[in-house]
Parts: sequence; structure tokens; C-alpha cells
Amino acid sequence: MAKPDKSVEIINPPNMLKAKVGGKLPPADQAAIERAEMALGQIKHQFQDWLAEEVTKMEALMDSVSQDGLLGESGEMLFTCAHDLRGLGATYEFPIISRISGSLAKLIETKQRRSIAPVALVRAHASSIRAALIQNIRSEDDPVGRQLAEELETQVVALVGAD
Amino acid sequence: MKPSDAYLTLDRMTVCIVDDNAAMRGILRTILNAMGAARIYEAGDVRTALDVLQHEHIDLLICDWKMKPVDGLALVRWVRNPSKSPCPTLPILMLTCYADAERVKIARDAGVTEFMVKPFSPESIYQHISSMFRKPRRFVDSKSFFGPDRRRKLDTHVDDDRRVRYGVKS
Repeated sequence: MAKPDKSVEIINPPNMLKAKVGGKLPPADQAAIERAEMALGQIKHQFQDWLAEEVTKMEALMDSVSQDGLLGESGEMLFTCAHDLRGLGATYEFPIISRISGSLAKLIETKQRRSIAPVALVRAHASSIRAALIQNIRSEDDPVGRQLAEELETQVVALVGAD
Repeated sequence: MKPSDAYLTLDRMTVCIVDDNAAMRGILRTILNAMGAARIYEAGDVRTALDVLQHEHIDLLICDWKMKPVDGLALVRWVRNPSKSPCPTLPILMLTCYADAERVKIARDAGVTEFMVKPFSPESIYQHISSMFRKPRRFVDSKSFFGPDRRRKLDTHVDDDRRVRYGVKS
């Protein structure tokens, strides 16, 4: 049996919240969750506009990349934007945009990948994201959206691998 | 337990949300407010977050990973540095688009308490917060790491002063 490592100390920090309330949170509080869902429902009508702002930001970066290439600052910023859209798309009820943005982020995640990524393929992702937004294609249930996402992903995997 | 207890708990919670996307911060604020949290600080970058953490008593930090110019991981490492941070045992919920095991390990090694992949729902946020406070993690203090215990199980004893040496009651 290994000797205990005396240089390692274990601390049980006080549970401040538990102390404050004198109790504990239940694993699920349906009322709290429903209140939050209702509150989100009240701002849902703004989601598409917020998403459109992010897509416009991405397109501006795409324009810079078209001029300067992917290896400059614009390329890195475009990756950050695609990464953000990956998280935001589904939050704003456009999971297909999350999927396509995820593929774009994968394509241009590192400088090494940006050095081999064809700008045309990057642009195809950007155009597809805009198209999904304009045509209100939200999920993979739409056959055109699904096919488009699959095709883009296939090309990205062929270029950078499955990881 | 009365159904309103959870509401009361969150009502006493002070949360700091760190995300460079204002809309995302707004969504999180909406969810937390609806669950009862009234005191919420927002930070659009790590520098602002550090200012909040140094001047306010925060009960829960929710932070994004990918931010510029300093990322959320650097913020977590600062919080978990007892020589610099006023709150090294602060519960930290990290939100990210990264879902792969390697990233989870990096976040865990930095000292993140819970890890949540975007997109999130009110239910998943509630569950993560609830889990953090129902099953608080023990902390490890060693030369190379300070943060929530990364091991699932420890055979150890807890002293009244809540500090023990691993395997040897001090």
C-alpha cells in the first residue's frame, strides 16, 4: 500500500450557500425551472435578431479574410466568431447554425489548419449560416439544411481529419 | 422541503457572470433572475471579473472559456491561487462550446468545479448549481494543485476545523 502523501492537504470548504439558507437545493425544482423557461420565452422574439447580429459580425470578418487571407488576425477572429456561433446558434433556436459553425470552427481552429483551409470552403460555411438564418432553417429536420451541413462536414473532415 | 426553498436559496446568492458576449450574459441573467437570484454582477472580460471578485463577496462564478484577450481558464487559475485570490474555494461553473474529454480534463486541472457545454437550458443550469451546493467538492491543496478534488473517492477523515492531511488525521 502506498504511503500517504503528507504534502497533500484536503480541505472541506464551508458550504456558504447552505449556511445562508439553512437547507439545500433540491435536485430539481420544477417551479424554478418553469419560471426560468417562461422568462426566456418572453425574450425569445429577440433571438433571431441577436443571432443576425452575430452572423453579420462573421460576414464582416469573412470580408477581411477574403482580402487578407486566413493567417492574419482576421482569420483568428473568424475562428472565435465561429466558435461563439457554435454555442449561440442552438441557444437562439437554430441548432443547424451551431452545427455548421462547429464545422467552420474545426476547419480554422489552429494556425496550422488556417494555413491549409481553402477560403472558398470557409466562405461556403459562412454563406450556409446566412442562408439558414434567412430561410429560417433551424434544425436537421430540414433535409436541405441537413444535407448542406453533412456536405460541409465531410469536406472539413477530409481536410483536417475527424478529431 | 417547501417548494419555495430553492427560490429563497438563490435569492441569497450573489453570482458573477463572465462572458464576452453581452447577449449570452443577458440570457444567463434572465434565467438566474427567474430562479430567484437578485444580486448578479456581469463582466465582459476577465479584467472586470477580477475587479468584481476583489471587491464583492461572490457565491458562484459562471464563466465562459473562450474570451479575449484573457480566457476564462486564466481566470479560474487566478481564483484558485490562494496567494492572490480572496476566494480560492469559490464554486466555478464553466460554460463552453468545447465538449471533448481533453478540454474537460484541462478545465478540471485548472480548478473548475462544474463544466457545462453550450447550449444550455434552464433545467441544466439549475441541475449544475444544485449539484454544486448539494454535493460540495473537497479541495486539494498541494504543491502543484489547488482546487476541487479530481479523484472520485478519498479515504480520509475530516477534522472539526475541516482540514485534514490525506490519509493521516492531523
